[in-house]
Amino acid sequence: MFLPDYYEFCARVKTVAGHRALDRIPEMLTTLGASRPMIVTDKGVAGAGLIKLVNGAMKGSKAKVGALYDEVPPDSEYTIVNAAAKLYRAKKCDSIIAVGGGSVLDTAKGINILVSLGGSNILDYEGAGAVKRKLKPMIAIPTTSGTGSEVTLVAVIADHKKKVKMAFTSYFLLPDIALLDSRMTKTLPPFLTAPTAMDALTHACEAYYCLAKNPLSDATALAAIRLISANLLKVIKKPADLQGRLDLANGAILGGMAFSNSLVGLVHNLGHATGGACGVPHGVCMSLFLPYGLEYNMHKRAKEIGELLFPLAGPEVYAATPLKQRPEKTIEFIRKMNQDLHDATGGRHARFLKEIVDREGRQMVPKEKLPDIARTAQGDGTKVYNPEEINYDDALMVLEHAYEGTPLDRRKIKKG
Amino acid sequence: MNYDTYPEIRPGRKTLKRIYIAVMLFIVGRAIQAACRTDSTVRKEFLNFKDGFAFSLGVYPFGPWMVVGRDEKGRAKYLGWNPEGKKIPLKMNIKNVESAMLVFTFMESTSVAFARNRFMVDGDLVDALAIVRVLDLVEVYLLPKLIAKLAVKRYPKWSELSPVKKHLGRIVIYTRALLGF
Repeated sequence: MFLPDYYEFCARVKTVAGHRALDRIPEMLTTLGASRPMIVTDKGVAGAGLIKLVNGAMKGSKAKVGALYDEVPPDSEYTIVNAAAKLYRAKKCDSIIAVGGGSVLDTAKGINILVSLGGSNILDYEGAGAVKRKLKPMIAIPTTSGTGSEVTLVAVIADHKKKVKMAFTSYFLLPDIALLDSRMTKTLPPFLTAPTAMDALTHACEAYYCLAKNPLSDATALAAIRLISANLLKVIKKPADLQGRLDLANGAILGGMAFSNSLVGLVHNLGHATGGACGVPHGVCMSLFLPYGLEYNMHKRAKEIGELLFPLAGPEVYAATPLKQRPEKTIEFIRKMNQDLHDATGGRHARFLKEIVDREGRQMVPKEKLPDIARTAQGDGTKVYNPEEINYDDALMVLEHAYEGTPLDRRKIKKG
Repeated sequence: MNYDTYPEIRPGRKTLKRIYIAVMLFIVGRAIQAACRTDSTVRKEFLNFKDGFAFSLGVYPFGPWMVVGRDEKGRAKYLGWNPEGKKIPLKMNIKNVESAMLVFTFMESTSVAFARNRFMVDGDLVDALAIVRVLDLVEVYLLPKLIAKLAVKRYPKWSELSPVKKHLGRIVIYTRALLGF
């Protein structure tokens, strides 16, 4: 077991998980001293009938939904936060129920900062440590099994004008309650289930080898990897498998707990920058950068990367692989996962940057954008937590390989 | 009950450690100003900051601190040890004296200190990361390789910073930091 000289771990979000966990909402609101929540969600979630399930769970209780804000876009930005906070105040709400994926949950956290601490612009609270006291009650209900935002201390919110994603970090951003209900992810189509779950897998893998790793984040990371690896393809092939959906949701929350405490590195660094510069969904970036993150840090974290093979591939494969070959086998396994997901989604799951297209089929990451992405990545906080230094040249080198889908040339990696 | 038998305990101020940190901050602050006039990478970082940019680095809650700003020509300027009354868009505080000692005795690199949640950052994170890059480079100039390797994640390769440039830069930066120009 790895024991650092010093570590911190905080996972104080009450988690309620089950096939009909939503039924607990009214009672949970009462225990939080709230009765007029604002529901924050997006059009997709509302259109899929998931808000009806939440409303249904609240029938017969004293609580009333003060406002339904369903205009969170896929890649939310600070202006949305500012507008929704105005609505919360106008409707005299006293709490927030966030129902959605990462964008919705992070937007809700941003709204909570403004309505609790005052002010009209969320940008005033950017950084680590600007949020210094308890916020209004918040229940987070994820509808993807990926972000882990329901248990993390961070909110990532974009500034589309500047084409950057900003992180807001504070223990006070941890929601009060995370509620996992298998019905909430049942309707998520396979092409979205795949990258979001790979996002969760990335959280767990990076948590296991990045700078703030610790015994508690290790335990949650390994459990997350086991659940995700065992259930992802199963659920892609049979989307209505409620137990598989719940297992994936549990994997995502465990991954969230892990990375919220040990933080993440190169994969998120390049992922945030690619998302900010080209509008690529976060999970897509995570899937394709994950093997590169492992390769890039291999010289410093071979042991840890080798250990990931156990929860990923199972005891038989792990035992049959010689110690020295385990790190390589881990990377190979993740590349194969991406390939399997690509095949299972009819080619919609991208394996490398040049393969990513928008709804109209246009390429989202042109090659000439790579220098911009590398530059943006230099301003993303996750670079600090990566075991190896990431300069502009390093980031560009990795991006060029990720663009073509070729493995890294290990000789080109500068070793610190 | 005799309340006098339950004395108040006033924590000490850790004066010696604070003096050590104050001296280190003074040297680093002046060295940043000097490095900005000597090294093109540091100069570029400061040119990228907005007009009126300044940052403080110190120990929460009583200091010491150093304050460095960007002058009208886009160069770094050491603004002293006292942040009070100054407009400082980026405040970086180490959470306590002992954590600051770990950083300033190079027992913990800046990255590890960040990973161990020893810093509070109030301001633009992009600017904070630029300051971390500047600090890393200044440490490479100021410290012998053996010690600097403990303070930075990756010591620059020859292709990134040649020994000639490094040693000449070190002499110039030390001279300028001592003389304050």
